[in-house]
Amino acid sequence: MGKTTVSINLAHAFARAGVKTLLVDADPQGSVGLSLTRQSRLLTGFYDYLEDPGIPMERLIVPTRLETFSLVTCGQASDYEAGGGGMGAHLARVRAFLRGVEARGFDLCLLDTAAGLFGVTGDVIASSDAVMIPQQAEPLGIRSVPKLLEGLNRLRVMNPRLNVLGVCLTMVQQDLAESTEAAHALRKLLPQDMVFQTQIPRDGLFVRASARGLPIGVLEEGYGALAVFDSLRLEIDSKLDPHHPTHRATHAL
Amino acid sequence: MDPINPWLDPAEVRRLAERLMKPSAAPMVPVSDAGFDEDFVGFAGVVTSSPAPPEMNENAVAGPPPVRTPDPEPEIPPTVNPIRGPFLERVSRFRDWMRNAFGASGVFLLDREGDVIFDEGGHGKLHLLARSLASAARRPGAPSGNVHVKVGAGATLEVIPVDTAYGCLILGAVVSNPLQPSSIAQVMTSLAKVASPPA
Repeated sequence: MGKTTVSINLAHAFARAGVKTLLVDADPQGSVGLSLTRQSRLLTGFYDYLEDPGIPMERLIVPTRLETFSLVTCGQASDYEAGGGGMGAHLARVRAFLRGVEARGFDLCLLDTAAGLFGVTGDVIASSDAVMIPQQAEPLGIRSVPKLLEGLNRLRVMNPRLNVLGVCLTMVQQDLAESTEAAHALRKLLPQDMVFQTQIPRDGLFVRASARGLPIGVLEEGYGALAVFDSLRLEIDSKLDPHHPTHRATHAL
Repeated sequence: MDPINPWLDPAEVRRLAERLMKPSAAPMVPVSDAGFDEDFVGFAGVVTSSPAPPEMNENAVAGPPPVRTPDPEPEIPPTVNPIRGPFLERVSRFRDWMRNAFGASGVFLLDREGDVIFDEGGHGKLHLLARSLASAARRPGAPSGNVHVKVGAGATLEVIPVDTAYGCLILGAVVSNPLQPSSIAQVMTSLAKVASPPA
């Protein structure tokens, strides 16, 4: 369980709290769409919009049963497997997309990006207000954090307003020493404000929710997870600029 | 055994993290109007210049020759101080160099979307103008060319798009007279160096 599960459940938590939320699948593998809608590959999505300026935004937005929660799938653009080219190639289209989202009255636009800080992911981060970094609590992933920080520092040159919300530990296994030690080591390594207090535990419920195409909070037995994501939502809320009309937040890594 | 620390430099990681948590020093100046400075006296002629010899331009372009100023080249230092540091510090040194070498009274830097990367002088009214001029002067497939426009008595805005490692940056500088092509080339080279990531 990583960034896509966090994206879906966090977006759902914001929407449940009355925040008009748009969750955008900016990962070429299209995991958000595959998790929530069976027909996602048939829908026009984010990468189609980047490729074709003639596509109106209305065609992208998929409503859900929750009035405040909408989705944009990854789409069908044929070259999305390659990540859409180098950094900067889609910057103008990404920014046009975000302006369109803002004009349609969304309070929060949450983009689930592909791993890395290059290509479309780099363009998305260079256009976002804030970035959050879901990080699995395992030693190998955490050893790559310096590279990520270095990359984000470079991207802040292009996007000085980028607010780095911090690292959110995911897949934390309390019964596995390596997992808890890795989580502890990361907290020791980074400044306190750089690591979210809320951490996402490894839980079979996420797999069950994904199998049914639902956010975990919708499951009857999902109230515990709901509380976790509500706690994460409140932490994020406290770090975002309350005066900004629409927040464009990115999940990277 | 510590699962993390032997693989990385904790002090360096902390430095990187702390830098990310600091608000960016670049001021975010909202660009809300197309108003020029109160001293704006109209366009003196928009000229794209390049390091190419002037004769080539005159032969290639029909119609009146572009406006050129006969002012002698100012004596300029060979390059910006090469000592590296954080990006904004390097830009500040570049700004100082522009001031000393060309008498630039205002220097700002935009990304190609027109968002402000650097502007300590509050030249918000000139940002949209600079961005528009840079867009208008851009030719598909051609290298970036500079444009200048008179914005006041004895004040010219030089707009110099520069392709850098971070994409195309738009440099705006208020100078007393338009810069010579060789100076423009030097400014472009210097800014490209300033905006290159650490080796």
